[in-house]
Amino acid sequence: MQDKINEIRRRALSELVSVTDSKALDDIRVRVLGKKGELMGILRSMGQVAADMRPLIGSWVNEARENIENAIADAQKAIAAKEMQRRLEKEKIDVTLPVKERSEGSLHPMSLVLEKLFDIFTGMGFEAVEGPEVEYDRYNFELMNIPQNHPARDAQDTFYVDDNIVLRTHTSPVQARIMTTRKPPIRIVSFGRVYRADEADATHSPVFHQLEGLVIDENVSMGDLKGTLDTFARRLYGEGVTTRFRPSFFPFTEPSAEVDLTCAACRGKGCRICKDTGWIEVLGSGMVNPKVLEMCGIDSKKYSGFAFGMGVERLSNLKYNITDMRNLYENDVRFLKQFRT
Amino acid sequence: MKIPMRWLNEYTKIDMKPEEYARRMIMTGTAVEGWENTAKFTNVVVGRVNTCEMHPDSDHLHVCAVDVGGENDLQIVCGAPNVKAGILVCCALEGASLPGGVIKKGKIRGVESCGMLCSGPELDVPDYLYPHCGNEGIIILNEDYAPGTPVSEIFGLGDDVIEYEILANRPDCLSVWGIARESASVLGEHFVMPEIAYKENGRGTFADYAKVRIEDETDCPRYCAKIITNVKIGPSPKWMREYLYGAGMRSINNIVDITNFVMLETGHPMHAFDLSKVRENTIVVRKAHEGEILKTLDGKEHVLSGDMLVIADDKQATGLAGIMGGEESEIVNDTASVLFECAAFERGNNRVTARKLGIRTESSGRFEKGVCPETCKEALDRACMLVEMLDCGDIVPGMFDNYPNPAPVKTIKASAERIRRRIGVDVSTQDMEEILLNLNIDTETDGDTLVCTVPPYRQDIEGEADISEEVLRMYGYDHIPSTLMTGVTMPGFRNEAQSFGMGIKRFMVGLGFYEAQCFSFISPSWIEKLDLPEGDARRTPVVIQNPLGDDTSVMRTTLVPTMLNALALNMNRGNDSARLVEVAPVFMPRGEGELPDEWPYAVLGMYGDGADFYALKSAVMCLCAKYGLRPDVAAGGDGYYHPGRKAVLTLRGGSVKLGQMGEIHPLVNEKFALPERAYVAEIDVRALKTCAVELGAVKPLPKYPAVSRDLALVVNEDVGAGTLQSAIERAAGKLCEGVKLFDVYRGERLGMGKKSIAFTITFRSLDHTLTDAEINAAMDKILSAVSKNLGAVIRA
Repeated sequence: MQDKINEIRRRALSELVSVTDSKALDDIRVRVLGKKGELMGILRSMGQVAADMRPLIGSWVNEARENIENAIADAQKAIAAKEMQRRLEKEKIDVTLPVKERSEGSLHPMSLVLEKLFDIFTGMGFEAVEGPEVEYDRYNFELMNIPQNHPARDAQDTFYVDDNIVLRTHTSPVQARIMTTRKPPIRIVSFGRVYRADEADATHSPVFHQLEGLVIDENVSMGDLKGTLDTFARRLYGEGVTTRFRPSFFPFTEPSAEVDLTCAACRGKGCRICKDTGWIEVLGSGMVNPKVLEMCGIDSKKYSGFAFGMGVERLSNLKYNITDMRNLYENDVRFLKQFRT
Repeated sequence: MKIPMRWLNEYTKIDMKPEEYARRMIMTGTAVEGWENTAKFTNVVVGRVNTCEMHPDSDHLHVCAVDVGGENDLQIVCGAPNVKAGILVCCALEGASLPGGVIKKGKIRGVESCGMLCSGPELDVPDYLYPHCGNEGIIILNEDYAPGTPVSEIFGLGDDVIEYEILANRPDCLSVWGIARESASVLGEHFVMPEIAYKENGRGTFADYAKVRIEDETDCPRYCAKIITNVKIGPSPKWMREYLYGAGMRSINNIVDITNFVMLETGHPMHAFDLSKVRENTIVVRKAHEGEILKTLDGKEHVLSGDMLVIADDKQATGLAGIMGGEESEIVNDTASVLFECAAFERGNNRVTARKLGIRTESSGRFEKGVCPETCKEALDRACMLVEMLDCGDIVPGMFDNYPNPAPVKTIKASAERIRRRIGVDVSTQDMEEILLNLNIDTETDGDTLVCTVPPYRQDIEGEADISEEVLRMYGYDHIPSTLMTGVTMPGFRNEAQSFGMGIKRFMVGLGFYEAQCFSFISPSWIEKLDLPEGDARRTPVVIQNPLGDDTSVMRTTLVPTMLNALALNMNRGNDSARLVEVAPVFMPRGEGELPDEWPYAVLGMYGDGADFYALKSAVMCLCAKYGLRPDVAAGGDGYYHPGRKAVLTLRGGSVKLGQMGEIHPLVNEKFALPERAYVAEIDVRALKTCAVELGAVKPLPKYPAVSRDLALVVNEDVGAGTLQSAIERAAGKLCEGVKLFDVYRGERLGMGKKSIAFTITFRSLDHTLTDAEINAAMDKILSAVSKNLGAVIRA
């Protein structure tokens, strides 16, 4: 009897070693351990065995069952592992397969630059304000100290709607609107589209964007203007970038200054972009002309202020090396696609 | 404005390289655009043609042996018809750089040629600089020069000419004297005026020859005139021609050259009249008669209006004051008596007249910027002095000078302390005084007060702020410190409108759209192409009086045409798809003299891959959902959309028009040259912003299960699925969580003109598990509503 049990165990264990799939394993389990299986057969035939031998045989059978069950559990684990491996192998994909590498859509370069400028100036305590693009001559010119037939009007070839209404030639009328309606202290940036009668070509556009700043308070000096623009320059192009002031003329400021920034491309060493000067002309600025303050109803004895303005296209063209202004307004997606939100 | 360095150096000392000079001028406020040498060539010397033989292989070329001052003669092949042995010529040596290129040694028809004999045009030397150097072939030098002498010396070339950009506030610098004076102040040199003196050797006095009547002293604050008799018209001397050439002006004849020379030197435009052509010898300065006709020097005829200042004789206008003379009284070769005019005309009138007539001359440009009346006489005296120097006429004693209201001497009191505070630079009062004196501003210091007497030519200096600029620019802008603003701290922020517009752009970008920017002005013909009905407000845009062209002549009343142009451009350049968004204002006229109503629209446009009505609708609905809105969508919209594929979008039960969208009508596609179907949506941003719902409290997560029922309804074909869905949503009551369309079916079994639309309707309560009875009641309500309003029946 013992031999018979040993033979069942030996055969089952040896088969279990080579079993490879769960169905074969199940077959073995049913054949050996099932209700009608080989070990149950032994127990069922106990009737023919002497009574004193029965406990002994029973313990042999139990021992064999235990051995086989353990072996089955081991085999099951091995098979599960193998099957998992097979599945994982089957699910392998080509991770090098090219995919869509960027999402479609982007802001226009003008918006990208304006956003940057807004961040810088709102961070410095400036409030961003807007005004109409079709504007009264009074705000666009007269309150900016550019009376009728002043030669400075030539520099800003103007589109007229009627004798008193123009397409604004700069964003300064927004400043005039603020100065005539608010009391100092004033600290604003105005921005938006402006219009000048220049034929569109690689370097001109009859529609372009400006951003202007205005500060009016007691004891504002040209040094404060320089400090503000130095901070702006650093935030725009990074540490080490500074400003250079050159005397200039604008009817609404006195003294006036053209402001150059250290060329961001060469850091002032001189390159093709800055024509080897190390400087890039970016801004016009100055101390608000007392006449402008007075015309706008602000006491020029008590208050002083500074103003500055820049062309946004100039900054975007420098930043993105755009060499033809017309690209900005024809909206070819091959151009627009190159920008990132 | 171009000025030769040599001319400046007659009145001050500029002893440095142009680079350094330009830098110092720029840093004190005089913009220098650049400089160039008057000689457009190098390495061209005098040569003597020793022999001149026919070329063996040509019937017009000659082979010359040319002595250029070296050991051996050079062999040069020359094709000019006037080349011959014995003449002195301009010989470009090997390596010479000419306007047309660099001269190299080479063979011409097999014969070696080691240079080139040059013509006037080849050297860019005009014939007024060297007479008869133009047409007949190579230049033949008439005087005796040693071979090898640089040719630039002979023509008086080789000087640096500086080009200045004079700003609008400094018309005094539009002259050699002005720039010399400014340069002297900047460089710490002296400005020395020539001593103006001449003998009046003519007979009689001014009144014996002419009468002048000034009828408009407002627009002509000063008028000076002088008579020259026994005029001998001829070429002006070489030095004068060279200066004029350097300054970019043609030499005409001695009298005309004197007027131009004086204008360049003093900044005062002058005019010379042939006195014999002035009827009754009378000059009248008056406003033109309305409709008066005048033929100007350039041969053009102008119809004048009553606000234009003219120079007239007793009968009619003979010139436009300060702008251009008339053809009649032009100086000609037999002119015998001349009236020189040097006047001041008011800049406003001058500018308006020049604009209206479309004329722009050196003279009008100067008057527009402002000519100082104070120095008119000085300029006219300078002209007389030149007449004497050139010996081209007799100067009649006496000058006509009408200057009824001489400008008072301008004195400005400025506070040194306020100047320091303004410029932020600590310049001592004494330094200020020195700087101002150096600028010819007579300054006396009285404690903190600077009493400044401004020279008459500095019309730009009007107050303390101007004095502060003078001080700062001469002290040096590089001394401005970098300080931080003091005073009240202010919060920086953007206004809501900006944030809103940017929010739309950013959201659309997230949906795959590219932001477009188009011009704000368009052609009225583009609005025409939209076929808007008569009386539509968009057909009457704000019109620009002086547009660059038709395409930029009216302000946009709709963003659609520019969007269609942008889509067309992309299609026609072969870009297979595009999705664009522009957020920009439209301009609607209000009353006469009022500013137009300006408010923003968002326009979306798409074509190509994945573009159709529903893709666009999805983008529009997503945008609205961002603002908590779900607009009602109904078939309809403007005629430029496809009649079966267009929709209007409304809010608040139809009371607010949000916009419209659709596929562009095929006929409109053709007009805009769109080869493919295009889809456009227009959203009124003002309406969107007004109706936008702020996100408030959010709902808790549900604790009880949801129940779904499917419902297939048969309706007439013309009932919109969205209309049906909205009806279901409205009828379903509070328990309804969502309605989702999952099938649209058409088939014979339903019958002609019918369709079946199937929805899944989900119910849920926040506080209990729903019973069948509750759901059935809701479904009954839905059914009765849709059958009553839309004739829907349950699909069998």
